[in-house]
Amino acid sequence: MSLIEEDEALIAAALNGSAYAWEKLVKRFESRVYNLGLRLTGNPTDALDLMQEVFLGVYRNLHRFRGDAKFSSWLFRIAHNKAVDMNRRKRLMTVQSRPTSEDEDEGFDIFPGDAREEPEHKLNEIETNQRIIQLLAKLPMEQRLVVELKIFQSLTFGEIALMQEISENTAKTRFYTALKKLKDIAEDQHVLS
Amino acid sequence: MSCPKTEHLLQEYLADDLTAVARDEIEKHLLDCADCHSELEPLLMTQASLRGWQEQRVPHWNRSLNLFQHEQRSAANARGWSAWQWLPTAASCAMLAILLLNVSVLNDEQGFSISIGDRSEANAGLDAAISALQTQQRAELQELVTRVEDRLDSNSVSLLRAVMEQTQQTTAENFEQLYAYFEQQRLLDLQDMRVGYEELVNSDYETIRSLQQLATFVSYEGNVR
Repeated sequence: MSLIEEDEALIAAALNGSAYAWEKLVKRFESRVYNLGLRLTGNPTDALDLMQEVFLGVYRNLHRFRGDAKFSSWLFRIAHNKAVDMNRRKRLMTVQSRPTSEDEDEGFDIFPGDAREEPEHKLNEIETNQRIIQLLAKLPMEQRLVVELKIFQSLTFGEIALMQEISENTAKTRFYTALKKLKDIAEDQHVLS
Repeated sequence: MSCPKTEHLLQEYLADDLTAVARDEIEKHLLDCADCHSELEPLLMTQASLRGWQEQRVPHWNRSLNLFQHEQRSAANARGWSAWQWLPTAASCAMLAILLLNVSVLNDEQGFSISIGDRSEANAGLDAAISALQTQQRAELQELVTRVEDRLDSNSVSLLRAVMEQTQQTTAENFEQLYAYFEQQRLLDLQDMRVGYEELVNSDYETIRSLQQLATFVSYEGNVR
């Protein structure tokens, strides 16, 4: 059974009230949604809130899923809309000024606890993710979403264009512009290795 | 950036949905065009660096179906309408009905009545009452205007009279003063004239005396010879 067929089976079972099928469906996508939340919000609390809102939206609208698109695309459309709503309410992860080397980590502590107690490979993970979050924070939300959906979720520009209610060419331009901006910022800061 | 194709080509290349033929064409151009190549490489590196994101484990959370069913019910209850929430809607509908259906409410000596649609007889009585009220209001307004005008007129007359009296009084006083002045001048002139006359008379008298003395001397001289 392919992944898509498995998704459809789980959806059907969840709609019939199967708690097991529902939890399996959630576990299949929760990591991607949670990490999407981390990249868009910059902190675990908001990322968890976003994830819960996304799955609540999925649950409420599961009966409307017709199977004419991939379930993942449908789910990330909900994730996109929830992120837009949350940004409207909370102004997620706006960076007012260029961070200096002293305050580079300020405001984007995605790992609770003392980082000095973490093993080295974990510290490297933390640093890499922090840099990516800081870079993404420099983008306006619509560009951030395009980068997230294209690079991290591998959606097509057609799917992204539908979500953002723009043309496919505009979605491509938005992605190109965002990538150029990230490149320029990274070069200025010598951030990315 | 001097190559005019750079932006368009790189957008298409990064879009990752090219046909094999289109991709070959672009890659051929990238080999030949230093501008496009130098523009593309850093973008690809940026993309690769972003993909270096390290997936984080999801913290513990309640993913059970019961939770979502409960959330769904809570949301449905929150969206459900209580009796109180119907009131504003009912009020809005009533107002809309009044506007659209031309509902009229009449409280007269016959009692309280609500009518829907165009009721000419009811409206005629109402129109007559309104006309009478308007006529009465016009009359009262006219009377008020007249009284105000009269008051203004009497105020003006009183003011004018007072001014005239004051003016007359001032004029009389001026005349008296002028008369007194002239009188005083006349007396002074008379006095001057008297003094002058007296001096003239005295002068004449001295002349006469001198003439008399001369005559006396002349007659004495004549007698002596």
